[in-house]
Amino acid sequence: MSINKLAYYPGCPSDGTAVDQDMSTKAVFEKLGVELVEVEDWNCCGAAEVEDPRVVYALNARNLAIAEKEDLDIVTPCSICYYNLERSNKALKADEALCTKLKGIDSSLDYGGKIKTKHVLDVFVNDIGMDEISSKLEKKVNVKVAPYYGCYIGRPPETAFDDPDNPVLMDKLIELIGGEIVPNFNYMKTVCCGGPLMMTRGDIAFDMARKILDVAKNAGADCISLACPLCGMMLDGKQADIEKALGITIGMPVVYITQLLGLALGIEPNKLGLNKNAVDTKEILGKVV
Amino acid sequence: MPIKTWELDPNFKNEIMGEAGGERLASCFQCSTCTLGCPITEIVPSYNPRKIIQMSLLGMRKEVLSNPDLWVCLICQTCTARCPQDVRIADVLSAIRRIAEREEEAGNLKIDSHRPLFDKAFQHQLEKYGRLYDIGLAKEYYPKKEGSFIKGMKAMMKDYKDFGMRMFKKGKMGPKAMLAPKVKGRAVIKKIFKEMGEE
Ligand code: SF4
Ligand code: SF4
Repeated sequence: MSINKLAYYPGCPSDGTAVDQDMSTKAVFEKLGVELVEVEDWNCCGAAEVEDPRVVYALNARNLAIAEKEDLDIVTPCSICYYNLERSNKALKADEALCTKLKGIDSSLDYGGKIKTKHVLDVFVNDIGMDEISSKLEKKVNVKVAPYYGCYIGRPPETAFDDPDNPVLMDKLIELIGGEIVPNFNYMKTVCCGGPLMMTRGDIAFDMARKILDVAKNAGADCISLACPLCGMMLDGKQADIEKALGITIGMPVVYITQLLGLALGIEPNKLGLNKNAVDTKEILGKVV
Repeated sequence: MPIKTWELDPNFKNEIMGEAGGERLASCFQCSTCTLGCPITEIVPSYNPRKIIQMSLLGMRKEVLSNPDLWVCLICQTCTARCPQDVRIADVLSAIRRIAEREEEAGNLKIDSHRPLFDKAFQHQLEKYGRLYDIGLAKEYYPKKEGSFIKGMKAMMKDYKDFGMRMFKKGKMGPKAMLAPKVKGRAVIKKIFKEMGEE
């Protein structure tokens, strides 16, 4: 293992709807011996709602500059935050005029282009590595999982760190901890969860999320695993609303990959926030041996 | 409907290509790969990103900017990942939406979607607090969307009653989520929107 300290960018839902993801991310890194230092006074990455890329770059210049002062690379558990941080990092490294302009707006936007930005999945598999994780496993997580990746892990190409059509990083971790990947879910791995339209076209968003839940259920999954809080909000948080609106029953547990990994590392379920997922996770806990 | 060539705006493509993210519009060779891979086409039958690109290149400015389909793109980037010409369709559509928003602000167009209201309300939270404040966002968005405070609050209750209770019971709507975040550097965030944004 080559890293022992990283700057942590939690993202806006980390205090609320994705507190379980935040808790499990911190607990897992601690167990793996990597210290996380929260990016001090971080601001929102712009999410999907700030459409002007130049504003996104400026917002993230501040976040990047804060971590750069500490001389630390940034890791985030949110796919959208990752996408915004990474594309900003690339743009700022390549565009001197932009950097000069930002410096002129405020000295806190003065970023020197010296750090890297990463998604937790990338750090687990490619930086910490499977051997290192394997050496720390304490339990077998004997569950059938539908690994759902969503949008910004395999695309767009310039920020992607996994295959666009059949990403595998989460699959690798699940297999490592003794889980099984359900067949017939592959084509759903990267289809958008509908989250970006939740507040303006809830009907479309529900339809999108329902498809993912249905395919996972039909594939015989015990749970869906995730690596993004917006996917968590749609598939877990809103699942009961989807059932009610569409007059169906699904009852599919949805967990963050950090929660599954934490279980295998022997971390106590409540410390991983597993009592906070909207759909009950007790059946999964029963399969940890 | 036949295209009336005298109503076309040959400069429209340049206008889009002048926006950040719109630069690669003219590289499109109309292969339809974007549309074939787009998940929205399974739900909204009229949805066709290839066609929006074609109409933009032809200069059908009014038709493109008033097309309600612009506002149901998920920005999921599937089209961008698959386009053989690297058109960056998701970014091009975003550039077109920003032109449409400016046209609406100038009073030249009425957008048939609540999404601009939502995006603005979201951005206002960042300007005020530096981070997203869910409650502040809902309090601004719903009344605007519904046209009055009372109607807005009713619609918000309808959407959030069950969800809010569920989150509360699971300890996801504790005091930390209820209180507005206050990023110390929020004055800078406000400055960013003023200096870099289009408002
Ligand atoms: S995939 Fe690219 S080249 Fe093909 S129609 Fe779409 S934008 Fe044009
Ligand atoms: S980014 Fe928009 S147009 Fe492109 S595939 Fe996704 S929903 Fe369709």
